[in-house]
Amino acid sequence: MAPLLKVTNLVKRFGGIVAVNDVSFEIYKGETLGFIGPNGAGKSTVVNCLTGYLPASAGKVEMNGVDISHMKPHERAHMGLARTYQIPRPFPELTALTSVLASSISGKKRINQSFQDAMYDATHYLEFVGLFSKRNILARDLTFYELRMLELARALATTPQLIFIDEVMAGLNPGEAKSAIRMIRRAKEEFGITVFWIEHVMAVLMEAADRIVAINYGAKLAEGTPDEVVNNDDVIEAYLGRGWREYA
Amino acid sequence: MLTYIENVVVYTFLMGSIYLLIALGFSLICGVLRIFHLGYAYIFPLTVYGTWMLMDKLEWPLVPSILGMIVIQFIIAALIYKGIIKKYLNSEDVLLTALLLIALIVEQAASYFYPIQAGVFLETTLMSGVFQLGGVVVPKQLVVGSGIALAMTGAFVIFFVKTKTGMAIRALSQDIYSSKIVGINVETLYVFTMMIVLVPVIIGTLIVAPVWALEPQMGWLYMITAILIAVLGGLGNIKGTIMASYLIGFAHAVSCFVISEPRFMNLSALIVVMIFLIIRPQGLARSESLW
Amino acid sequence: MVETELKRDRIVIRLGTKKWEWVLEPRYWRNTLIWAVILFLFPTASYFFSPGLINTMISANIYAAIAMPLALLTIGTGRMNFGPQFYIGVGGYTAALLSITYGWGPLLTLPFAILMCIVAALIFSPLVLMARGLYYVLLTLLLPLVFLEVTFIYPDIFKGDTGLFGIVPLLDTGNAKTNFLYIGYISTAIMFAYLWIINKVLKSRYGLLMAAINDDEDVAHSIGININKIKIIAFVCACTMIGIIGWFYAHYFSSFAGITYLPLTFMLKILLVLMIGGRAQVFGCVVGGYFVAFLEMLMIRFMGPIQPVLFPIILLILLFVLPEGLFGLYRKRRYREYLPTIHVRR
Repeated sequence: MAPLLKVTNLVKRFGGIVAVNDVSFEIYKGETLGFIGPNGAGKSTVVNCLTGYLPASAGKVEMNGVDISHMKPHERAHMGLARTYQIPRPFPELTALTSVLASSISGKKRINQSFQDAMYDATHYLEFVGLFSKRNILARDLTFYELRMLELARALATTPQLIFIDEVMAGLNPGEAKSAIRMIRRAKEEFGITVFWIEHVMAVLMEAADRIVAINYGAKLAEGTPDEVVNNDDVIEAYLGRGWREYA
Repeated sequence: MLTYIENVVVYTFLMGSIYLLIALGFSLICGVLRIFHLGYAYIFPLTVYGTWMLMDKLEWPLVPSILGMIVIQFIIAALIYKGIIKKYLNSEDVLLTALLLIALIVEQAASYFYPIQAGVFLETTLMSGVFQLGGVVVPKQLVVGSGIALAMTGAFVIFFVKTKTGMAIRALSQDIYSSKIVGINVETLYVFTMMIVLVPVIIGTLIVAPVWALEPQMGWLYMITAILIAVLGGLGNIKGTIMASYLIGFAHAVSCFVISEPRFMNLSALIVVMIFLIIRPQGLARSESLW
Repeated sequence: MVETELKRDRIVIRLGTKKWEWVLEPRYWRNTLIWAVILFLFPTASYFFSPGLINTMISANIYAAIAMPLALLTIGTGRMNFGPQFYIGVGGYTAALLSITYGWGPLLTLPFAILMCIVAALIFSPLVLMARGLYYVLLTLLLPLVFLEVTFIYPDIFKGDTGLFGIVPLLDTGNAKTNFLYIGYISTAIMFAYLWIINKVLKSRYGLLMAAINDDEDVAHSIGININKIKIIAFVCACTMIGIIGWFYAHYFSSFAGITYLPLTFMLKILLVLMIGGRAQVFGCVVGGYFVAFLEMLMIRFMGPIQPVLFPIILLILLFVLPEGLFGLYRKRRYREYLPTIHVRR
């Protein structure tokens, strides 16, 4: 089966620091790929390179067979990549509805959609994440959980094929966290998207992910099903330190 | 050929030094206060016409009127800070418009009270006569002015590097919040910077007053040069400003003596700056640190 | 090709695969129509009482017509442009030179003025994309001044000292008073056209995209907005609209001198029209334009030579006292819509 996204030998250097060191993996359509690693491992840099925010120093990214390594972020969005941000970045002066509306009119090319039709479309996504009652409230007045949901709605409104979710659990209490996981699962089923999920909380990925890729210091440590990766020696060493066997 | 080179070298040095005095103030305000003091042009006509008004209306001799004018300038700088800059630090469009308006008001007031025909003239010549350096004739006033400019710049650099207040101002220019946490009094230092920056500018204006023309619109001409130097050198960086003012002095000297078209001076400086900005968009030196 | 349908409360226009809807809401039209009628009757009324007022009205309309593209420019590119009068110079000098050299009338010089403005805007459009915050402010501030110097450096072409004379006038009915009347209506028509176009653009999807770009450029880029295209198109369109006003000035006064329009004093007046009328609000520009023009006229008439000193002082005081501008006083419903903020320092 051809992969949806194929990353080959991705390298990113900032001056003398190599933040991403020869990372390669594939994502298949319809799966949830987890992405783990300790702090500073380079996870967000990988996502930034894949979505086009930063130009990669070397390596190739292919989506559906098309080489997107040199495309600008908006072109990648038109190809079907969307992302959410680790610290929510709403449009501070726009209301929730107009934020998703901006996404809806500038996502994939749609025919026969006027501004007002796009507004109806945007309300559909807002209702999906549960923010319909807050649609006219300015984005900076929403609570933290609602901001995360707005991020998700805004990413979904571009009708992506692949969505990068960056640490959606951070800062949510357990009830909100459960709602967030349920929301992402429903999004996958209803919209048929593939999810690339960066996360710190292992328990979430153990249930939700089909495969996991682990990196540390910019290099890939392990790839496989959640059980395989969690029991991998290198991964445990990355999290616990080198002398972990003495304390096992 | 040799006279061209001599002329260009000597005048680059002279003009660069005088521009250094004028541009240092603009660069420092940009670097420390992190605003664009578009009203900088008010200082020039205020110096000249303020002194003239004190001499004319109050019949004071030259030196007391200069001192009186310096006091007035300090007061006006403090008022501008408290009234305009502090209020509008976050809404930059209103801030810039208000500062431009101040420059316009001063220029129009000067033009109203002393229009260009009134024959304003300041006898601030320190050394009259001309010098003969090789094949080049230079007014002694400008040579003395260059010496004073270099001395003042040296004093500023020593102040910023060696003294405690200088270090506080340098810290302030990099991060306001950290400075506040450490205990630096931001307001006082801002007002202090605005006042201390007036000193080289006033001295520079007074030095060139007998040599170059005096008119109410003189502020804009000097401000264009100051802006170009500050942008080229990296806003707020003293090293960059020094290098840039000699570069712009060089451009002016070349357009005056080699191309023999003095009217091209500003245009040539602008072309030099635009070319540099294309090659290196952040200016000659980094603008995050003062030195 | 272009189809229109009339549904119950909206007009739908389809072009190929694109579709635009214009929602008609007559209940919001009442105030605008009242003011439009007043402005329409004003020239005729003052034609009989005091024709000099038509002159002020023309000035007011033109100030508003320069300030509105400036508002579009600020919102579209996200940066404050301090040198819009550069394009007045470009448009005006093109029209003046063509008219004097070849004797062309105003209708013939108009396309060429527009063309030169588009070319000039395209040449300087990389500034919008590359120059960050303060550098952009500086370079736009300096461009008109440099243009002014060029007009002095080449006096045989530009006649920098005296200005260009002998341009074919806009309209000639033989009677100076009727000339003013017709030109007054033309200026009102230009102002209304600009008002309608810019208002429609800012309320449409393009206005929303511009607001999104102003809020957070990187996020806007990642949801699929082509920021460079929108910025350049906004820049070129706004500058061309300003250039058309330069064309108007050249043919209205039958003379054009760079020194009247290029220095900072003129730019400050326009900037103040924008600020006092209501910051970057389109209807506010009209209010600001009329206010500034009539204030200037009254001050010149009653105060004489001290006017250039007091005029900026009064405007400075108004700038402080009215943070929302004059139009802000009128908008009693302070509902929050997506008014974009303008960041000069990035």
